[in-house]
Amino acid sequence: MSFKDILKKQQHNIREYGMYIAFVVIVVFFAITTKGLFVSSRNIGNLVNAMSYIAVLAVGMTLVIVIRHIDLSVGYLAGFLGAIAAIAIKYWHLPLYATIPLVLVIGLCAGLLTAFLVAQMKIPAFVATLAGWLGYRGALQLATRSKGTIIIENDVFNALGNGFIPDIPGIAFLPGIHKVTLLLGLLAIILFIRGEISSRQKTKAYHFEVLTMNMFIVKLVFISAVIGVITWVLAGYQGLSWAAVILIFVVLLYSYITTKTVIGRHIYAVGGNPEAAQLNGISVKRITFFVFGSMGLLTALSGMLYASWLRSATTIAGQGMEFDAIAAAFVGGVAVAGGVGKVTGSILGALVMASLTNGMNLLGWDISIQYIVRALVLAGAVIFDVATRNRGK
Amino acid sequence: MPETTPVVEMRNIKKNFAAVQALRGVDLVLHHGEVLGLVGDNAAGKSTLMKVLSGAYIPDEGEILIEGRKAHLTDPLHARRLGIEMVYQDLALANNLDVTSNVFLGREAVSTQLGSFGVLDSRHMEKEAKRLLDRLKIEIPSVRLLVERLSGGQRQSVAIARAMAFNSKVIIMDEPTAALSVAAISKVLDLVRELKAQGASIIVISHRLEDIYSVSDRLMVMRNGRKVRDCPVAGDIDDFRERVVAYMIGARDDFADAVAV
Repeated sequence: MSFKDILKKQQHNIREYGMYIAFVVIVVFFAITTKGLFVSSRNIGNLVNAMSYIAVLAVGMTLVIVIRHIDLSVGYLAGFLGAIAAIAIKYWHLPLYATIPLVLVIGLCAGLLTAFLVAQMKIPAFVATLAGWLGYRGALQLATRSKGTIIIENDVFNALGNGFIPDIPGIAFLPGIHKVTLLLGLLAIILFIRGEISSRQKTKAYHFEVLTMNMFIVKLVFISAVIGVITWVLAGYQGLSWAAVILIFVVLLYSYITTKTVIGRHIYAVGGNPEAAQLNGISVKRITFFVFGSMGLLTALSGMLYASWLRSATTIAGQGMEFDAIAAAFVGGVAVAGGVGKVTGSILGALVMASLTNGMNLLGWDISIQYIVRALVLAGAVIFDVATRNRGK
Repeated sequence: MPETTPVVEMRNIKKNFAAVQALRGVDLVLHHGEVLGLVGDNAAGKSTLMKVLSGAYIPDEGEILIEGRKAHLTDPLHARRLGIEMVYQDLALANNLDVTSNVFLGREAVSTQLGSFGVLDSRHMEKEAKRLLDRLKIEIPSVRLLVERLSGGQRQSVAIARAMAFNSKVIIMDEPTAALSVAAISKVLDLVRELKAQGASIIVISHRLEDIYSVSDRLMVMRNGRKVRDCPVAGDIDDFRERVVAYMIGARDDFADAVAV
């Protein structure tokens, strides 16, 4: 098989590769223009912390858009839930093991309320969540009215958005390098390679086509190298942050649900053709409740990450976060028409948008120019998306 | 009683929608391994009759026997469990999913039983989908292709294959050859013959009389919610067409008399 044939075979993946290439171009561009500051361990660590709460929202938003809906309420809902967390800790003196589940449950209920309006009352999601946008904005102001900005003084809670995982003390080997992070990175590479090899063997056992051995090795080496480099960079500062750990957990969980489970398959079926799904015994209503419920849960997580990152709850917390999440999903290849889009794509989209903001800030670019650049990237990504998809047909 | 029990028997089915009598007491018999052509003008009641058989409508009167046993079909899934599969005219496929996913849509095989969170057994489903397509002699390059990348005829084949995937007794096809190219039509008709050869009992609704003529054993004509003709498909095609059209448009209406005699 020639290289050209491989390309042809992979044509449906071309837009996915395009996104990776675009991301690499952005990283290289900022690495050069900031004289390496952009790719410094410290900056990458901060970048991951600053994008985590948007990325968590983008994961939930991916599923919402896949089933042909939208959720505009998540920004202020996240702000409101962050405020609840702050109040619970500071004024109700609730311990963290009660606060966190409480906020998650309220988030879940808010998501189910949206699902009720959309699936049961048949209100278009745009309208239902626009009402939510207004309502949660009011709720946030009510919650913070008497106190204004609520400073959170719980170190454990604040570590969610700012802290780093502990290292093993007392090892002289590789000073200044975070050993636990290195070990985790190594573990990730081993698990990845093992998973790929076993998957390839099983696929072969069923006489289905697999990548050629050379291509397979190239893929393994490339992805292992990427994980290795990221691990090395992060280990050079204070290691893996808790926010990154939470984000990785959310991404792995949702990737698994969407690609490996029955409900994941059903979510995409509903997105592709709701009537067909219903005729084949899939309850569109149940899927809608599941997707908005998960969106509510992730919004609660995002709200707590944000409050923790700021170490406070403010009266305007969450403003505009819904649009950042939606933009991340679209940049990441989620189709507006529904049915298409991967969780990993949306994370990459969030990473692209956060890198742009971070890089342009480092360069000291004017904020108005920053908005325009992000607008161009969003529009460009979707144009590329539509063009490759049409050509594929 | 005849020597063999018919796979489906519908007796005196009546269905009204407000003041409209869509079905005015229709009988239908389908034997094992038989292809029954169902024709009629628009609003003749053929789709309504098939929706009753596939569980989408509940009849006001009449009874349905599946292999001699009385069945009260409450919804399409119930009908499906009894072995009645419907291939819808708009195919009911999810174009964003691959062939395998569509064949198993709503009936996914799992390797871990956890309800909705059960883990998909993708390889098993791919293997079964491939085996199914091979068995039905359907030519699709790969079961991993997205349905949106298939031609109209291939999509129709996938929809029909899905109906055959789970030991169904009866397959109802609503206009399987509408909106297809000539080459694709002949492939779909070959597929109908293949299903029949493998023992399926089939009802085909079609406007294209030549298609009915070429695959059906028997023909049933409906007009204004009644059965106006039920006869084996035989004779010369032009002659056949002329007679059928006469019944469809009501130029001939002697079925009730013939039965009465």
